Amino acid sequence: MNAAPHPSFKIKATTYQRQNRALALAASGVGFAALFTLYLPIVLLFVLSFSSDPLSGRVPSLSLEWYEALWVSDVFKVRDPLLLSLGLGLLNAALCATSALLVGRVLPRMKRNAPLIFMFLLPLLVPGILLGAGVFTYYRVLIGVKMGLWSLLLAHFMWAFPFALLCMLIVASRFDARLLEAAADLGASRWQRFRDVELPLLKPGIFAGGFFAFLLSFNELSRSIFMRSGELTLPLYLWVQSGGRSATIPIIYAMSTIVALVSIVLVFIAVRMMFPKER
Amino acid sequence: MIASPDHRHLHSGGGEQGWANREREAEHAHSRAHDAAPVVLEVSRATHRYGDLLALDDVSVKAREGEFLTLLGHSGSGKTTLLRIIAGLEISSEVERLTIDGEDMREMPANLRNCTTVFQQYALFPHMSVGQNVAYGLKVRGVGKGDRLEQAREALALVRLGNKFDRRINQLSGGERQRVALARALVTRPRLLLLDEPLGALDEKLRIDMQIELMHLHKKVGLTFVYVTHSQEEALTMSDRVILMRGGKIAQEGAPADLFDRPVDREVATFMGVENLLEARVTGIEGDQVAFEVAGQPSRGLWCGRGRPKVGAAVDIAVRAERLRFAAADDAPAEGHVQIPCSPGEAVYKGKYLDQTLNSKIGELKARLWDPEIDIDAITGVWWRPNDCAVMDKMTQDSEVAAK
Repeated sequence: MNAAPHPSFKIKATTYQRQNRALALAASGVGFAALFTLYLPIVLLFVLSFSSDPLSGRVPSLSLEWYEALWVSDVFKVRDPLLLSLGLGLLNAALCATSALLVGRVLPRMKRNAPLIFMFLLPLLVPGILLGAGVFTYYRVLIGVKMGLWSLLLAHFMWAFPFALLCMLIVASRFDARLLEAAADLGASRWQRFRDVELPLLKPGIFAGGFFAFLLSFNELSRSIFMRSGELTLPLYLWVQSGGRSATIPIIYAMSTIVALVSIVLVFIAVRMMFPKER
Repeated sequence: MIASPDHRHLHSGGGEQGWANREREAEHAHSRAHDAAPVVLEVSRATHRYGDLLALDDVSVKAREGEFLTLLGHSGSGKTTLLRIIAGLEISSEVERLTIDGEDMREMPANLRNCTTVFQQYALFPHMSVGQNVAYGLKVRGVGKGDRLEQAREALALVRLGNKFDRRINQLSGGERQRVALARALVTRPRLLLLDEPLGALDEKLRIDMQIELMHLHKKVGLTFVYVTHSQEEALTMSDRVILMRGGKIAQEGAPADLFDRPVDREVATFMGVENLLEARVTGIEGDQVAFEVAGQPSRGLWCGRGRPKVGAAVDIAVRAERLRFAAADDAPAEGHVQIPCSPGEAVYKGKYLDQTLNSKIGELKARLWDPEIDIDAITGVWWRPNDCAVMDKMTQDSEVAAK
């Protein structure tokens, strides 16, 4: 152990180290390129939303006029779709969080739960257009449900519930069921055990699930196309507008910036709740 | 008594009575012979299965007021299952009688039973402070906030954690968590305190300190303790009575000294740490003493088996290493005791003592020498007092299976 390493061994080690360094460099290069590709459009969007002439792709001077137009202007009529999407998002969040709590608290305690969990999470992987078309056909054509607000909510719930459940499962699988035994042992009734032990410890999962459900609903387009009937959600509105008159495009930049910022904050809070730092 | 919530309320609400009062009662309880104290817990003919696995096989247990009863056994012996059945966390598939203070508990859910548990991993609520954890049992009983915090403080002081009331659970050491769990279980003043390997997660030094502390606490609060452990040392140190369990059945039950000195069969002797186990044949019976022959050598021992000894029967004998006595060539043989010739073999130095192997006609014997002055090379023979040698039935096929 104390003898100096053999010279040839030393050379080998340095070659190995050099290779390692080159690989690490290449890997971080690819990683940064990916991040760049992901965030460049968002950053451009952000910058252009403050431009006085966004369609030129330049920033001749800074301006808040598009933000103002978003809320004040009667020309663009963005307020109704925004309020509808907000309401729909909140309702969907409440619905998903509650359902995810009810399902997610039981799933981890079941024996042989893998197939069930798989079935619950599978809709995550089904393309939205397919699901939208399928649900539309089933409810509208076969059952004859009227399309409108409620069908929109249904489609959004189907879309967001697996995500909310996933959040719930992350938290619930860490829950120590022995705490419920301890509470029962100390005299807590079924309801007291749920209220005092389970609910507070599952709270991060409930809120994270709710936040994600809100965001997914708020940004949802492909299913809404089928299920909307006359209703116009914000993404639908932006989609329609951006395909139509070019005069409205500038406010889309402003709108997208706001949505992106709010989304980032919500996601950040949700993730922090699910993976709290040890105090 | 605890069927109506109101009554429980009375039970846990007596703040002014305090622990001091309890202490006097406890001394009173201790001064009475345990046999005379009222029965607090009675389990009769309990059987429990997990699927096909028979975890508990027709077991009956009684615990009297103020008693420290230990359920001792390997994992899978059924001791924890029995504890969980008493607590109500497991509903026994078959049980003839299960009473606390004479009241039928068979259909009673865990939260309505007047007993609390100290869990192996403590199961403290991570989202509550130390004080909230301890006060929780009182909170669900509807004790007012002022009262319950006051009583929680008292209980924490009892386990010497008076200054940790506002701490978070994850700021505590293992030993402190253990004591919070104790305080949380004691604060409701249950009739019965159940402890499920509470010292298992602590390191050696802390475990020994906690043993002493638990004994003091037991004396102070005067509660009936039912204590589950796999450590014979813990059982011997703390218990008034030990029930040794094996394969879902009771292998032996008695005072710590009964199990230590008078094991009923080879498995019990092994569990209780007897080093020398030999096969022998009974040659005579005098009162509770038995004369036997081991590998042609005559000797004597104390009958400890379940039934009566029979002349000519094959038996197991057990002698502890520290109870072997030595003779040198020129010693006069001790009166009435037969020496077995032997010669010293390998020795293992343990600091406090020396583990010495002795080779003899009846096989290798393990001896423990505490006296560093002893001249090992001069040892030519070994003997034992009949009371230091347990003579036991051979294990039947049935008990062999149960022991596995």
